This record gives sequence, structure tokens and C-alpha cells, in this order.
Amino acid sequence: MLVVILVTAFLTVISFSSDRKNELTIGSIGEPTRLNPIQSAESSASEVQQFIFESLLHFDENLEVETLLAASYTQSQTTTLRFQDDASAATALSQIEAARDSWPQWTLQEGHVDGSTLLLKFSLPGLDASESIFALLDAQATLPFTTLRAETGGKARQVLTAFQALEPPPTIIRTWFDYDAAFEITVIGDGLACQTRLDEFLAAQKLTDVTAKVIETRPFLAEPMVNFLLRRDVRWHDGEPFTSRDVAFTYQSIMDESVASPRKPDFDLIQSLTTPNPHEVHITYRKPYSPALNSWMIGLLPAHILKDKPIAWWNDQFNRHPVGTGPFKFFNWKTNESLRLVRNDDYWQGAPWLEAVVFRYLPDPVSIRIAFMTRQTDFWGVDPWAVAAFRDDPRFQVFRYPANQYNYVGWNLRNPLFQDLRVRTAFAHAVNVPEMIKYILYGNGVQSNGIFPPHFWFSDPDLKPIPYDPAAATRLLDEAGWVPGADGIREKDGKRLAFTLIVNQGNEVRKDIATLVQDNLHTVGVEVEVAIYEWAVFISRFINKLEFDATVLGWSTGPDYDAYQVWHSSQTNPGQLNFVGFDDPDVDALLAQIRQEYDPVKIKALAGQIQKAIFEDQPYLFLFVPDATSVIWKNSFRICRPDGQGGFVDTPVEITKAGWSYYMQWFYRPEFSDNLPGGRETLQP
Amino acid sequence: MTTFILRRLLITAVLVFFISIISFFIITLTPGSPYPWGELNPKISESVKANFRKQFHLDEPIWNQYWFNMRGLFTGELRSIKDGRPVLERISERLPATLALNLCAMTIALSFGLLVGVYSAKVSGQWQDTSLSTVAFGFLAIPEFWVAYLLIIGLTAGFAVPLMGTVSHGIIFPNAIAATLDWIWHLALPATMLALGSIAVQSRYVRASLLETLREDYIRTAQAKGLSPEKVLYHHALRNSLRPLITGIGSLLPALIGGAVIIETIFAYPGIGRLGYQAVLERDYPTLVALNFITALLVLLGNLLADILYAIVDPRVRLE
Repeated sequence: MLVVILVTAFLTVISFSSDRKNELTIGSIGEPTRLNPIQSAESSASEVQQFIFESLLHFDENLEVETLLAASYTQSQTTTLRFQDDASAATALSQIEAARDSWPQWTLQEGHVDGSTLLLKFSLPGLDASESIFALLDAQATLPFTTLRAETGGKARQVLTAFQALEPPPTIIRTWFDYDAAFEITVIGDGLACQTRLDEFLAAQKLTDVTAKVIETRPFLAEPMVNFLLRRDVRWHDGEPFTSRDVAFTYQSIMDESVASPRKPDFDLIQSLTTPNPHEVHITYRKPYSPALNSWMIGLLPAHILKDKPIAWWNDQFNRHPVGTGPFKFFNWKTNESLRLVRNDDYWQGAPWLEAVVFRYLPDPVSIRIAFMTRQTDFWGVDPWAVAAFRDDPRFQVFRYPANQYNYVGWNLRNPLFQDLRVRTAFAHAVNVPEMIKYILYGNGVQSNGIFPPHFWFSDPDLKPIPYDPAAATRLLDEAGWVPGADGIREKDGKRLAFTLIVNQGNEVRKDIATLVQDNLHTVGVEVEVAIYEWAVFISRFINKLEFDATVLGWSTGPDYDAYQVWHSSQTNPGQLNFVGFDDPDVDALLAQIRQEYDPVKIKALAGQIQKAIFEDQPYLFLFVPDATSVIWKNSFRICRPDGQGGFVDTPVEITKAGWSYYMQWFYRPEFSDNLPGGRETLQP
Repeated sequence: MTTFILRRLLITAVLVFFISIISFFIITLTPGSPYPWGELNPKISESVKANFRKQFHLDEPIWNQYWFNMRGLFTGELRSIKDGRPVLERISERLPATLALNLCAMTIALSFGLLVGVYSAKVSGQWQDTSLSTVAFGFLAIPEFWVAYLLIIGLTAGFAVPLMGTVSHGIIFPNAIAATLDWIWHLALPATMLALGSIAVQSRYVRASLLETLREDYIRTAQAKGLSPEKVLYHHALRNSLRPLITGIGSLLPALIGGAVIIETIFAYPGIGRLGYQAVLERDYPTLVALNFITALLVLLGNLLADILYAIVDPRVRLE
């Protein structure tokens, strides 16, 4: 009987499996924890959210910033200078007026005086122009601005309000709260008097172990602004119009302690966000930080649904049944199995052609492969070793493009073994990276030339990777005083050239890298022991505690030139990301400078300098930038997307700088092309 | 009897308390801690991390953490570190699929085990018995994941038939019957794989127990009375030899909701096994606490049930 049922079931399933629905099915190993763009940090969540939620800005197919829910935006900056008295301010303004020829170069639009305060308005944010102007003026007549920070461990708003009531009004000109755990105030002058008063006040409040710290003193305040004009034709999936209220709500939620948004650091530099009307958002930043604009690629939340709801409701309801403005609406989510989105017929760019997008959550690469081969999913991020077989198979179409990541061996520079540049360079010469690419990636990748993958626009193309050259490696090690001992392993002052290379469990590529590094280095007389640990142990016991010799890891980054967290010398403490302990004052200065720079030409120049300086010091053995490889069933989809002028463009599925799946929301199945809404006349052949 | 049950329940409560303490410490003292932001995310600041630890009481002494977890478990307020949802909801949403899989596997295991066991006892010592025993030992020895992968490779290479998860996706089924058959197909494969080992075990139990019973005096009496061999075997011997099987039902209780990590993973089946496995990897302490607690409780209650059933089935046993 059981056998009969099984056979019947088998025959039924197989006989219908060729009738495909008008759907796109995506197989994925990672499953989102919650569908909320401000609470989730994992790529599996953004994979789904890109269909449901939309942002003010996004990357276009060439990875350049483009507006989405914003109709347009403008950037500007106000620089505030404070003088000893009204007369000096007036003098300064006249000095600036005298240099009117330089205004266009400074992008200065206007200047005016308000008492002893001089306000300058620029059409482009940045520090350079303000600094050049400041250099013209009499520095003795100005007063600096000082920012103080006090960690109150809660009740920050209450404490500051009470303090402000005592303080004479003009002193504190800016306030900002880091959750309710700390506050920062900006005062005129050196801030010492205010700091003393604040310390006394905090002591009187019985917050005994709390003291205020001076975190920054600046000669002037440079405050960039972004003004967004919003689209008026966008509606949420429940029909409510999208307005500036939603933008403001999203920002307030990110800064809310109970939301615990991992995206908060991107928004910490915002001084204020105002909404003069339902279609405009004005944002003022506390200081120039050019990557801040990209933070508006965050998906926006519906204020009318979430406002005044407790966080438990977010977790239980909204994050499992999200409402957005995107081309697909949430339908259902069966944990560990599937997540279904259906077409949003009222989508503001026009309804997509597919009826549904389905994500299938599969536990491992084997099941992903099986699901794809049985046509249960429509594409597969195929492993590099399997690509070749699919490329030659006429049933499939293979896509290959450089991934936004690079792999490396990081040397713990606190270890005396790795402090000699000659030794690090010798290691780089000794490791055969082209062979690695050949045998680990099956040729699907390029050798890395530093911290920015070569396909990023600001990456330095002239920087050449260190070539494989065991003879040079031997020579450098000899020069550094490491000579072969009795067992062939090099020694110096009785110390063997031996170390442990740690890798995390579950990443086959990194495990293979470790094996090849071990083998390559052994041939030049270096003893490497490879140790593999489960991820949580790997991070908490070794990396975060800085207790390791060397490690194989990779960085995945967006096209982001801000490498401060990974390379600045202030980030070398336990738990921070400069865990190799790289420390170079020149690079520190460049890293601080590039994030304040808004001019793409200058950004590219600075990025090149940073990349070169770090590469020449070899704190990492830079290995390779792998390719992302995907395979789809041939001719299963085409793209019909808006051309931006009210019509549509019909193309096959092609690769763009942003990957082959960039236009996924506009995919359609050729067998359902009769159903294309909007009529086929608009399609170009 | 009532005193016995009450006393056992009391012991169970005490045991569960100690088990909960030990398992909590094993979970939390394992190296590593919850880190929900993906691999080494450069964008996460100290204040975000501190706020996260505060929200889930991870910054408090371990005894307080134990107290928060246990109190939360009983008030239903215990929430997963992973997605902030109540853990009981996360577990109960897995129940239907898990129950279906385990019930199906048990039915297959028991019915086939019985069938094979009785048959081998009947032909004991002959070549059929020897070959069945060999096969049974074979299935005990071969890892189930290996058989499962062979089956999958065979099916997908030959037919491209969908077999992952609980239902097929993207396929148009003309009616509810076809869709039901699709569901049965997706259930039957993992259930059969799960049952393979148990069939072997159960059949050996039944065979041994039946052979032992067949040597009893009353069987010889029945045969001497001239009853047909079938009547003796099925009516007199089988009933008595099933006693160990019935009392074994006690151990089925935890197995009903228990996860089968490997088979669930291979067939991408959304059961409790994968939930627990992911919770271990993610250091999702609340989910693990709840799963451990429920499993411990079911094991203890299952034992109690077995003792009671034993007393009911076998009048010679008296519970004091």
C-alpha cells in the first residue's frame, strides 16, 4: 500500500513538473531573521527587502547614485564662525567679500553676519573651502567650538535638560543624544569652564562616576545639508500615500534605543531632520562625511503603521508581514521553507510582469544544487568548481562578474615575527596566488592589489600585485637574518620561523587557502600550523581578543571608499576591526580626510594614496578578488523594464556592473509574454 | 497508583529543575556569544553592541540570565535573540511539519518492523531469516545520510523530480488531489529514510521477543491441543511478545517532537531539528533553553507513561 501511494505520488509530481507558474523562484541558504530594513544587517534580508521596500536613493546599473523615492536632491553646507565681538565679524565678512573672485572656486554662495556670528553658505559640502577662507581671516579674533560628551548610562535627555536650565543660553549651541545613554554638546570657546560646571552638575546629580570629556575642538562649524524632494505618486502597499513623515519616522526609529538598529552608526552624524511639508526633507549633518549620502539607500518604513507601536509588535507582526512601497507585496513566510511575494499592481513605476517572487530556504549548497537541477529554483550561485560544466551545457546560461570582496592573510603586527617588512614581503613572494586562483577558484577571480577591488571606480589600477617569486622570498628572509636550521625551518636568535594560521570552520575556500599557504611557505623554510575553529569561537576567542598569529579572512564591502574602521590606528583595540594592528600616521590622516571629501576627483586621488600606502606596508598578504558566478536555465527569463521616458525596453538577461540580477523585478517568462501588462506595442524588438 | 504518579511527578519537577540549570550552563558557557550582524560588520558601533547586550540581559551575571530565561519561559515572554519573536511561537510553528514527519516515520518503522520481525521469527533459522537479518544489520550500520543522498542522486539524475521541503514550488497542479499527492511525496521520502534504521531495530526486537515466547510452556500446550500454527503464532504468542514494544511507547513521546537534524537538513524539511541546530550555531540561548526544557520534560513524562502502561498491560506488575 505504501509503495502504491509512493509511486502514484511520484508519477503525479513528475507529470506536472513541466507546467511552470509565472513566478521567479530564488534558492538561498541564508534566511532573513526579520524583514525590516532598519533592523536587519544580513544580506539574506536585503535580498528580499529589495522587492518590498524602497529608499530615497539607490545605485543604478553602473553603481552610481540615482534617485528612487526622491524626485531630486541638493547638497549644500553652512559654515559657522564665531568672533570675539560684532566688529571682528563684520571685518571678516568684508575680507571675504573682497575675495569675491574666489567664490565660485569655493562654491561659496552667500555670507552674512548675525551679531558676532558669521554664516557662510556653500553649494558643495566639504572642509577645504572653509579652511581656505578661515586662513584669510584673523584667527586671533575667532572663538573655537568645543564638543563635550558625557556618558550618563541612561536618562541623558533628562540630565541635559536640567543642566541647560542652569546654563546661560548662548553657551550650548548644539545638542545630540547617543540613545539615552550619552549626550554631546557643542559650546563656544575652549569649553573648559562649561566642562567644570557640567562635572559639578553631574556629581550633584549623584551620577558620581560620570565625567564629561572634550571629544573635539574645531575653529568653525562646517555643517553639510541634504534637501530631498520626494515623489508624489508613491503609495504604500495598503494604499496610504508616501510622505516626508515616513522618512522622518524611519530616522527617529533608527535612533531609538528599543529598535536597536544596526544601521544607527550611519545616521549618528545627523544633527537634525526636518520636514517643512509632506514632500520635502531637510537634513543637517554635524560635520562633513561624504559617505553619509549613501545611507539614504536604506529602505523606508511606513509611519502610519508603525508609529506608537511597541517593539514587540514590530517583531511579532510587522517584521513577519512587512508593508513597503516596492514592486512586490509580502504574501507569506514559512520559516525554513519559503517566503512568497506577490505582484504590486499599483506599483508607481508600473506593475511588474511576474505574478510572484518566491524565496526557498535550503540548508546547504547540495540542496541548493538539487533544487536548481530539479527546476525548483530558477537560478543558482554556482560554486566556482562547477561552473565549467554549466558553461558548455546549452541548457544553461552562466554569469560571471567580480564580487565586492577580497580575501587575505592578515598578520598580527603585534607579533615580533611579523614586524619586519622584509619578512611580510617574502611571504607575499612565496605564496603562489595565481595557482590559488587556478586550483581553488578554477580561474574565476583576479589577484588582489590592495584594499579596494580593482573594479571599484576609486581603485588604483597602476598598483601591481607582488609576483610569485620564491627566490626573492628566500633572499629577503636571508637578509632579515632568518637562516635555515637543522630541520630546514629557518631560525633567528634561537627562534624558529613558525606560526599558527587560524581559519573559521565552514568556509571551504579559506580552508584551501590555508593549506596552500602552509605548503608554499614550507618550501621557503617557514613552518605553518593550520587551526580551524567554529565561527563564534574563532571571533570571540582569537580575533576579538587579538590573540592570533595570522588568519585567513575576507572583507565584503559595498563600493565604499571609507576604510576608517579597518585601517585607522584608533581601531586597534580588542573587538575592533583593525585587528592586525596596522598603525601608520600618514594613512590615519588620509583616512580622516577622504571621508570629508565630496569631490569625486579628490576622492579618487586620496583612495589611490591610501591603497598604495597600505599595500606597500603589506599588513595583509592580499590574495584575490573572486568572481561571483551564477547559472540560470537558458531563455527562462527576459527583461522588460521602464526606459525612463515612459516606455519600456525589452532585453535578454544581461550582466551589468551591478550584477546580472539588477533588473530582477522586471523579469518576465517568455511563455507568459502575452500577459505583459501595458501591452506589447511598447516593447522594442 | 495515584500516590505513585504524584510522587513521580514531584521527582520529575525536581529533575527538570536540575536539568534546566545544567543545560543552561552548558549552553551559555560554550565559547562564543550571540552576534546577529553577520561576519565582522564594520558598521556596528559600540553603543549598538552595548544596547543589544542590555536588551537581552547578556550584560548581567549568569544567574540573573538563568532567571530571566526561566521566568520568560513560564510567562511565555521569552523571545529569541535571533528575530525577537516569542520562542514558544517559533517552536510551535514547526510542530505540524515535525509531527507529520515523525508520525509517518514511526508508522513506517513500527508496521514494517512488526511485519519483518514476525516473518523472520516464523522462518527462524532458514535462509530467509538469515538474509533479512543481514539486511537489517546492514541498515543499522549504514549511515542514513548516505542512503538518503544515494536516493536523491538517483531520483534527480533520472527524473528531475522535486523533493526538497514540504511541497513543490512554481508548479501548476490541476486539483487538490494532485497537490495532496505532492505533499505526500515530499513527506514520504524523509520519513522512509528516517524509518530505515528503526525498521531494522524493531524487527530484531519483535523477532527475539517472539522466539522467546514461542519457547514458553503454554505455547507447547496450545500446539498440543492441536491449534493451527497460525492461530498459535498470531493469537497466543504475538500478543504476549508485544509487551516490550508497547512499553516502548513511552520513549516515543519525546521522539514525536524531537528533531532529526540530518534528514531534515538533507531534504530541506522545516522541522524542529533544524531550528535547534541553527539556534546552536547562532548562540540563540532562549530558543535552546526552551527546546532543552521541553525535551527533558517529555523524556521524563514518557518514562512515567511507560511505567504506567507496563502496569496496565502486565497485571503482575504493581506500582507502589
